[in-house]
This record gives sequence, C-alpha cells and structure tokens, in this order.
Amino acid sequence: MTATGPLTVGVLGGGTMGSGIAIVVARAGHNTILRDIDADRVGAGLDKVGAFLDRSTKLGKLPAHRAEAARRNLTGTTTLDDLAECDVVIEAIFEDTDLKARTFAELSGICKPDTLFHTNTSTLSVTAIAAGATHPERVVGTHYCNPAPLMKLVEVVKGRQTGDDAYQRTVEFLRSVGKVWVTTKDSPGFIVNRFLIPFENNCIRALADGLGTVESIDRAVTKGLLYPMGPFTLLDIVGLDIHRAVSLSLFDQLRDRRFAPPPLVDQMIAAGHLGRKAGQGFYRYDDRRAFGA
Amino acid sequence: MTDFDRVGIIGCGTMGSGIAQVCAAAGCQVTVLEVDDAAGTAGLERIGAFTAGGVSRGKLTEADRDALLSRVSASTDVAALADCDLVIETVVEDAGVKHTVLAAAAGVVRPGTVITTNTSAVAVTELAASVRDPARFAGLHFFNPVPVVELVEVVRGLRTADDVVTSLIAFAERLGKAPVEVKDRPGFLVNRLLIPYLNDVIQAYDDGLASADDLDVALELGLGYPTGPLALLDIIGLDTHEQASRNAYAGTADPQFAPPPLLRRMVAAGKLGRKSGEGFRVHAEDGTR
Repeated sequence: MTATGPLTVGVLGGGTMGSGIAIVVARAGHNTILRDIDADRVGAGLDKVGAFLDRSTKLGKLPAHRAEAARRNLTGTTTLDDLAECDVVIEAIFEDTDLKARTFAELSGICKPDTLFHTNTSTLSVTAIAAGATHPERVVGTHYCNPAPLMKLVEVVKGRQTGDDAYQRTVEFLRSVGKVWVTTKDSPGFIVNRFLIPFENNCIRALADGLGTVESIDRAVTKGLLYPMGPFTLLDIVGLDIHRAVSLSLFDQLRDRRFAPPPLVDQMIAAGHLGRKAGQGFYRYDDRRAFGA
Repeated sequence: MTDFDRVGIIGCGTMGSGIAQVCAAAGCQVTVLEVDDAAGTAGLERIGAFTAGGVSRGKLTEADRDALLSRVSASTDVAALADCDLVIETVVEDAGVKHTVLAAAAGVVRPGTVITTNTSAVAVTELAASVRDPARFAGLHFFNPVPVVELVEVVRGLRTADDVVTSLIAFAERLGKAPVEVKDRPGFLVNRLLIPYLNDVIQAYDDGLASADDLDVALELGLGYPTGPLALLDIIGLDTHEQASRNAYAGTADPQFAPPPLLRRMVAAGKLGRKSGEGFRVHAEDGTR
C-alpha cells in the first residue's frame, strides 16, 4: 500500500456508521466497496451515501463533479469474496466481538497478505476482536465519530497484538482521507466515551438528586463550561437506550460504578422516554422542533 | 423584589475586579473594599486594563468605558459599604477570613441588605452564620473570567429567603448573565460535574492511556469542548484545582473528588500550569501553549 495512489477499501455494514465511513473513503478518492448481508441493506446504505452527497452539493460544501466522482468510486456487494483486492477493510457491523472476529478471520482467507483490518468498535476490546482473527497483527481499531463525514476525529486503537507496520499504514490511510487521529491504548471507551459516559451519568445523578433541573443543568454546562450542548440535550439525541447499552458495556469491563447507568435511565426506558426519536426524553419534542430543522 | 443599584464588593482580586466590572457595566454604583490603598488601586487598574482591551477590540466605546470606570470607587473602610443594597464577598477561600469580613460588613449595612459570597469552596449555609440575618444571605458564584463566562450560580443556603433568591436571579440577568439556582452542596453544580472529570483525565494520563496532546485533541474534536482537559487545568492552575478537589472530597467523602497522586506531585514540584510556566505542558513566557 502506498500513501499516494487510490486504494481499494471495503466497508462492512450499511448502517449509519458504515455509510458515513463509506462517504469519507469514497470522497477522498479511494475505490470503495460497501458490503452488507442482503441487497436491501446494501441499497439502503448506498442511498444514504447518495443523499448525503446530494445535500453536500446543494449546501455548496462539495462541488458537483467531486460528488459525482465519489459516487463513481462507490459500489455495493453482499459477497465477502468481492473484497479480495482490498488494501483496507473497515468493519462497522453489529457490536459483537465474535461476529467481528469471525468476519475478519473469513476475510483473511479472501484478502491479500497485507490487507489491514480496521474495526470501528466503540465499546469492545480491539485485542479481543483481533484474537479471533487469523492475523491479529493487522487488526487496528479506528473509531470514527458520528456523523463520520463531518467529524474530523478518529481514535486509533492499538490492540496488544497490533503490529507497528499496521499502525503506521493505518495512520497514513487516515491522513489520506483527511482525518485527525489520536492514538489510545485498547482501554474500554478509548478516550471520548471513557470520559463522556461518567460525566453524563454524573449529570443524570445530579438531576435525580435534585441538584438542578434538566434546563438548569444544561444551562450550567453550556454557559459555565462552554460545551456546545447540554448533557440532557445530547442524551436525547443519542437515545437513552443507546446510552444505557454503552454505559453497561463499559461498566462490565471496568467494574467502576461511575459507568453504571443510574436508575433514572432504566425508568425512562421503561416509560418509553428514549429521547428525540421517541418524541420524549429529558425534553418533550414535536415535529416542529425536530433536530436540525 | 429589590433592585441592587449600589453594590459593595469585598476584595478586588481577579474575581472581585471582574464582578465589579460587570456590575458597573450594568449601571450599578460599585464600591470595592480592599485591605490597603495599594490593593485597591491594583484592583481598579485591573478593571481599567480589561476594559481598555474591550475598547481596542471594539466591544466598548471610549465614552462607555469612562462612564463604567467612574462608577467604581475603592475604599479601605468597611463603613463605605453602609449604603449598599448588595454586598458580594470575594476574599481568599478561607472560612475564618470570610467569617471576619462578612461579620464586619453585616455590622454596617442597613437591615434588609442582601449579603452574598462568591465562594466556590465553603458551605454557604455555614458562612450565613457570620451575618445578623441569615435569611438575607446567599451564594453568588461567578466564574473566571467574569466578564466572559455567562454562568452565575445563585446558591440557596438552608436559611436563604425565597425573595432573596428571586432578586439575585433578576440581578444576574440584569448583568447579562445566565443564572441558575443551585443547592448548597459541595461544588454546587458546575464544579460538582467538572472536578471528577478533570481528575479522571489526570489519572488516565498517568496510566498512559494517551499523550496529553491526544487526550486534549480527542475531547476538543470528539465532543466540541472549547478547551481540552489538560490545557484547561494549566489555565485554572493545578494548585487551585487540587484545593477545589480536596474541598469537595472533604465535603462528600466521595472518591471521585479525591485529588489523584500525579496532581499532588505536580503541585509539590511547582508545576502549577501557566502561572508557573509549566504544568501538563511547558508554556512560553506570554502564557501561550
């Protein structure tokens, strides 16, 4: 793999993260193959990419010819065999260690002897995923932030077995797609979630303890710490169910009570108050107040 | 509800001068009380310098600045606070010193005058015992730099009257601030959330999770925070943060507030952040990274 010419890159998973990463890679000029398990999912993923590129052009962020080039760089498939020529395969599939490891193991028999295997896991151990792959030294964590096409940051995670060569080539690849990377140990939550989750749980506890209201705590954080968004506004966007799952996963791995979702989270989930997507979370939403409108 | 047109500020250091400035900018007559003339003059000069910066950046006209400065006077005599509608105490974070100056102020003001403390470390309900009328006492917690940060925590002590809280919220809004009412608990709201996060980052840095630059970049770009945690600690001052941590830990016995070992060692080594030239980073003489 050279740092210059276009690469062939496989992206596994046509969901929010997979399609977002496919945009990043295709927009940077690499040949991009989006793979999911059935034609409907592949189609949905490609549609998301197309819609994003259209919107970028309409907003004047991406010239039409570059959007067109990105579209030409992108194909879809349901077959892992179509990833044989890939220099890099980035998985953004379901958060399941065995599934990710088995997929990489299968790809090891299909891809080239120097193909890099990138996992976009946010909560699992890169070392554990690599352990089940045939070539753990070529498995590297690359954790993109949502929305991937807009957020500059990628956390590069070295598993215990990650080779220096694979790490260096990963960094070159991220440079080629215009990302800013930071390097972290393979520690639960890496950097961003490692510090965000306990902070949010602390905010939820402060609310439950009556130290403030939803509005006053959001106000204190945005006006006092100058964060772009208050914790409850952010939690409503993320979704309480997702927050609970991430918190529990980190709690299970770290056995540190600060990561445990407070009881209020369970109550809100039981009541169906999952956040923006449910019309109610810490705040109540109607269509006119939909995010980004 | 009371209009606080005449404001007395005890102590004119970084916080006192900042509070004096925003009060004067909102049209209040401000008297700052200091221990000697030199300290009073230094406080007024600090306001002069900050507002001069505002003029050069086009945020303030020369005439407005002159009017603002004309509304602030300094005194060393506590009797100068006699006519104040509101007193804000901003002296050193030492319960004994605060008790002495609050009792002195309470001795000269009219009945009904609201007396407040800008403490971030001492219990407001405890300081309320210093004054004659604890119902007219509350916390009014500004953040550094006062002219820039909008948040003001209005701290309700256990004996603070409802109308005092209401008046202070209205006053903070008149200053152009964003007030929130908070309970009198260690760290109130913002420090209650900030201290564990900063200590968590210090410990992770000590554990080798990532470099100082990578930790700061990840949280700035990943979460949109204006300043990464280690850069923020260098600005706050590691000694200041250690003291805030100790206070919150003493007040809660909750280990998330305990100052991590590396923080204590850095303070012992004189690595206090920007003010000492080195903290998590070495700083140039002009204070930049």
